[in-house]
Formats: sequence, C-alpha cells, structure tokens
Amino acid sequence: MSAVTTPARQASGGVNVKVINRIVIYGLLALFALFYLMPLFVMLVTSFKTMDEIQNGNMLALPRAPTFDPWLKAWGETCVGLTCAGIKGYFWNSIKMVVPAVLISTMLGALNGYVLTKWRFRGATLVFGLMLFACFIPFQSVLLPMATILGSLGRFGVTLQNATGTSFGLGNPTVNLVFVHVVYGIGFTTLFFRNYYEAFPTELVKAAQVDGASFFQIFRRIMLPNSMPIFVVTVIYQFTNIWNDFLFASAYAGTGDAMPMTVALNNVVNTSTGVVEYNVNMAAAMIAALPTLLVYVLAGRYFVRGLMAGAVKG
Amino acid sequence: MAFLEIDGLRKRFGQVEILKGIDVELEKGGFLVLVGPSGCGKSTLLNTIAGLETITSGEIRVDGRTINDLHPSKRDIAMVFQSYALYPNMTVAGNISFGMEMRGVPAAERQKAIDKVAKVLQIGHLLQRKPSQLSGGQRQRVAMGRALVRDPKLFLFDEPLSNLDAKLRVDMRIEIKRLHATTGTTIVYVTHDQIEAMTLATKIAVMRDGEVQQFGTPAEIYNNPSNLFVADFMGSPAMNLIPATIGTSGNALSVVLQREAREPISLPMANAPAGLSAFQGKPIIFGVRPEALTDPEGAERNASHIATADCHIEVVEPAGSDTFAVTNLGGKGVVARLRADANIQPGTNTPLAFNLTKAVFFDPATETRIR
Repeated sequence: MSAVTTPARQASGGVNVKVINRIVIYGLLALFALFYLMPLFVMLVTSFKTMDEIQNGNMLALPRAPTFDPWLKAWGETCVGLTCAGIKGYFWNSIKMVVPAVLISTMLGALNGYVLTKWRFRGATLVFGLMLFACFIPFQSVLLPMATILGSLGRFGVTLQNATGTSFGLGNPTVNLVFVHVVYGIGFTTLFFRNYYEAFPTELVKAAQVDGASFFQIFRRIMLPNSMPIFVVTVIYQFTNIWNDFLFASAYAGTGDAMPMTVALNNVVNTSTGVVEYNVNMAAAMIAALPTLLVYVLAGRYFVRGLMAGAVKG
Repeated sequence: MAFLEIDGLRKRFGQVEILKGIDVELEKGGFLVLVGPSGCGKSTLLNTIAGLETITSGEIRVDGRTINDLHPSKRDIAMVFQSYALYPNMTVAGNISFGMEMRGVPAAERQKAIDKVAKVLQIGHLLQRKPSQLSGGQRQRVAMGRALVRDPKLFLFDEPLSNLDAKLRVDMRIEIKRLHATTGTTIVYVTHDQIEAMTLATKIAVMRDGEVQQFGTPAEIYNNPSNLFVADFMGSPAMNLIPATIGTSGNALSVVLQREAREPISLPMANAPAGLSAFQGKPIIFGVRPEALTDPEGAERNASHIATADCHIEVVEPAGSDTFAVTNLGGKGVVARLRADANIQPGTNTPLAFNLTKAVFFDPATETRIR
C-alpha cells in the first residue's frame, strides 16, 4: 500500500491484514499441533487394536473392537530379553530410582541456593559459576570415569559387606543410578533455587535470625514453605529428565533385575523372536510415558504464582 | 553509665570503610534516631547493633554487657524491618510467636503473650490471617507486635514508616511515640526523614559518610547545628544558607548580604559570636531558618535582636497555615516564613525581619560553625 491512501482505506486495509494474519497464525499453529499429536494418536489407537486389525487395517483408523489386552500383556506378560513377566517390575525399578533421586537432588539444590544467596561467603559467585559447569558437561564424557567410580564404590561395598554384614547399598545398581542422577542434577537444581532465592527477601532471614532460628530452622520454616513454585518446577524438570534417561540407565543398570523402564522398553521393542507385537509395544511405550504426564498434571496445579504476596511491602 | 554505649565502632567491607569510628550513647528509656542521607551508614550501624553485621573494631554494650560477638538472638533485642519481613507462610499469631517458639516457650504461655500484644496493638481480630490479607498499616502493627512480644532490652527500627503513605505515616509516627511513652522501652530508630527524627527522638545522631556529624537532643541539633551539613539537612523547609561577608558598622560587626541590582544589606550584629571577628572582610555562610526571617509584625516579640531590611519578593507560596516568600540574597533563593494572613505581593519590595539571635555562621572553607 502506498503512502497516499486515505486514512479510512488504511483502517479497513488494517482490519483485513489483521484477519489474514490471524488466519495464518492459527492455521500454522493447528498444523504444528496436528504434526505433534499424530504419533501420539497412532500410538494410542494401535495400542487398543488386535494384531489382525493392525496387519490388515489402516494405521490411522480407530480400533473396530477396542481391547485392553495389549496393555495387560505389556504390563504383565511380554518378554523383556529372556524373562517374560511384563514390564511391571521395571516400572517399579524406575519409581524406586526416580523418587529418591528427584527428592535428594531437589533438596540439595534448595540447600545450595539458600547458602549461595543468604549465607554468602567469599567466592560464592565463583562456586556457583563452577557448579553451572555441571549443566554443560556432555553426559557421554563422564560415562567411563563414572563407571570407574561406581566400580570402586561397589568394591568398597563388598568390603563393607564382609566387615559389617551390610554394604549400605554400595554397588547396588539402583543406588548407583540414584547417585549418578543426584550428582548430575545438582547443577540444575542449584541454578533454579539460587535464582529464586536471589529475589527472596533477605530481611525475612534476618528477622528469623533475630527470632533465634538456626541455619536449618530458617531453611525448613522460612525458605522451604515459601519455595513452592520453584520446588514444583524443579521436581517436574528432574522427574522428566531422570525418568526418561536412557544413557546412564543402560550403561550402569543395562542388564539384570534393576533395569529401569527405559531400558526395558528398548528390550521389549527390540525383541528378535516371533512377530513384532506393535500393539503391545505401543501400550508399553504409553505406560512408560504416563508418569511424566501425571507429574505435569498433578504438580502443575500447584504452579501458582503470588505465594510471596504479603511478605514485604504493600 | 549509659544503657546503650557504642565506642569507636568501625566497619570495613574489603577496602571500603563504612563506619569510621562511631561513638554514641543512650540512656535507659531513651529514643535514639540515626538520621542521614542514604548511604551514610545508618542502617549498617543498626545492623551491627542487631548482630546481623559483624564489626571490624570497637565495642557495643547494652546495660553494661558487651554484645559485640553475640548471635542476634542472644542480644536481647527486637527489630522492626523496613519491609516488615513478615513470614508469608505463617498467620499473624504464628509470626508474633515464632521467636518464642524458637526459644522453646510452652504453647500456653505463647498464647498469653500473643493476646497481650494483640490487645496493645489492637490486632486481635487479625491473628488468624496471613500477611497477604493485611493492609500496609496492619502489617506495620504486626511487625511491631513481633518485636513487642519479646519484651527486649532494646528495640531496633529500620525505617519502619517509609513504605506507608503520607497520612498513615503520621498516624503510625504518633503511635510509635505513644508506645514509647507508655512502655518506656529503649529504642534505636533509623530514618532518612528528618521530621521523624525531630518528632520522635530524645537523642539524634546525624550521620554522613560513616561519621556522626552531630549527636545531641533534637533542640540542640535544630538550633545549634555544628556544621553546614547538619544545618542544611535538618529542618523543613531547610535553613537558608546565604553567602555573606563580615563588615563593620560603628564598633560592631555586621553581616553584609548582596542583593540583585541594589546596594547590599548590612545587618548589624549586637552579640556576634566571638569567633566571627577573625572573619572581618572575609566571606562566611550566614544561616537563618525560614521562621527566623518573617514579616516585622509576625517577628518573635521577645527576641532580643531583630534587624529589618527591605527585600525584593520573587515568589509567594501560601501554604494554608503559613505563607512562604522567596527572595534573593547573596545570589541564592531565600525562604521567609510569614503569617498566613501577611499582606505580601510578589514583585514588591517588602521589609523582612531577621531574628539575629537565631542566626548561625559557618566558615565556607571548613564548613564548620563559627562560634
């Protein structure tokens, strides 16, 4: 449009352009949403179909006679490697590993953030900067050194076992994975909590000090109860990362009873005997993805802002 | 021996010295206000008394006990913070009793103390609310309640009124003054508002750049400022500080003030301070508060030494209770405070009365008072 058009025409032209813009934007968004939802849709419908229907039917068609059998089989009967007891044991393996790893790394991150912002010491910024490096180290580069460390810990566990009758979990693959994920997670959780506590009013800590609260009392009674938003963010982030981790899981617990869900799922899908049971594979993959979805749905509700309202000023 | 004694207190952050040897003392039941522009170290000084900042050298004693190295909770102090610092996750009652809870006071006793404080501050109906459900004034009360409930030796207030609106600030100021009068507590109070300082204090320490400029009662600070900074900082509207020279009229000294496009004013000094004679023919700063520069009818009757001079009025500001007139002397705008109904017009030459008994003089080179 040239510069000599009248204001009226400019206005009507503006409205038209606006409408077209909207259409293009929403059209594109819908297209991308479709693109992302398509695989999920295929997985879902396939998991409710029988093998016959899969082999003879259309991939996108809805199941003619929906059945839960593939889900039940995936949960309780399908073969992982040579054992055919479903994925349920591995599901619990993952839970047993993820819950402690998430809680420990989150609590340590909170504690680090608290110290780095409210109990500043000489070089605190440097320490924080170094901790941030943990966020940038590629996982692959620590695989072998970490394996050596875990090996040493395992041998130490055996020594402890012989000396005291218990290894205190050292050498246990689940404990190893918890350890690895906690060490790896601290960088991120510290980053989250430090940045949150940086904006946390320091006067609250001073007031609590005057009130006679100790270091840990302040942490437990003042800092943590007012950290809900960042706590939820960190838990979601850590849970998703650790649950979905395949590299560490396959490297340090790739075989045997402690195998986490991700590795087990891989073994289900990669089975080399018989027909490939797509419906069971899809059901198993859905089961593997459910906990992370659940965490988003449940924790997201506590994602409320404004928890700090009323602490300072009016 | 005073109740609170601070001796040669120094505080250094790295190479920067924040407090450069503070000496202050306060009697029991006194109200000490630390006042000064931002960055003068007054809040740091308060934090060192509270124990929230360590000190580099010097000594702080409360009731004869040295508290330099004690943890804040062991100093028997209570503090009200600028932002109130109420714990947002606890109710008002929880906020007030948190300190007692930390000291292991039994629940029944805590409840009794909460009720007592709630009655004093009239916040009984708010006890179960969270801080986010309170107004600014109510939060201020709760913050004071949290301090009161401890019944400490020393109360510390860190600019407690600066977050309130103007009307509420005046109300709370009166309330704090009343509280001090009824409970007889010893208070150290930080503010940058010199009116708060004047109205509340029994002792004022005016601070600048980590040094106490003057320490004394409000009247001493107001009437006898020891240097140019204190004279300028305290009082609203501020003291007129007019560049002048010292001349002689007859056998007495006189203050010579330059006027625009007219011959200078010469004010004869009957009882000039002794130090002034050394400044004959030299420049000085002549300080006169607006209320000591007024219309001749409104001048103080019993002032022993009043000189009247014609001044060119540039601006007139009727403020309701008073009328302020601005004239130009010595190249500076000078404010005179007149009666509300004084008949004065801008652009005219009007006689103004200088109350010279209240006048003060400063050496422009050293900025100190000429006595």
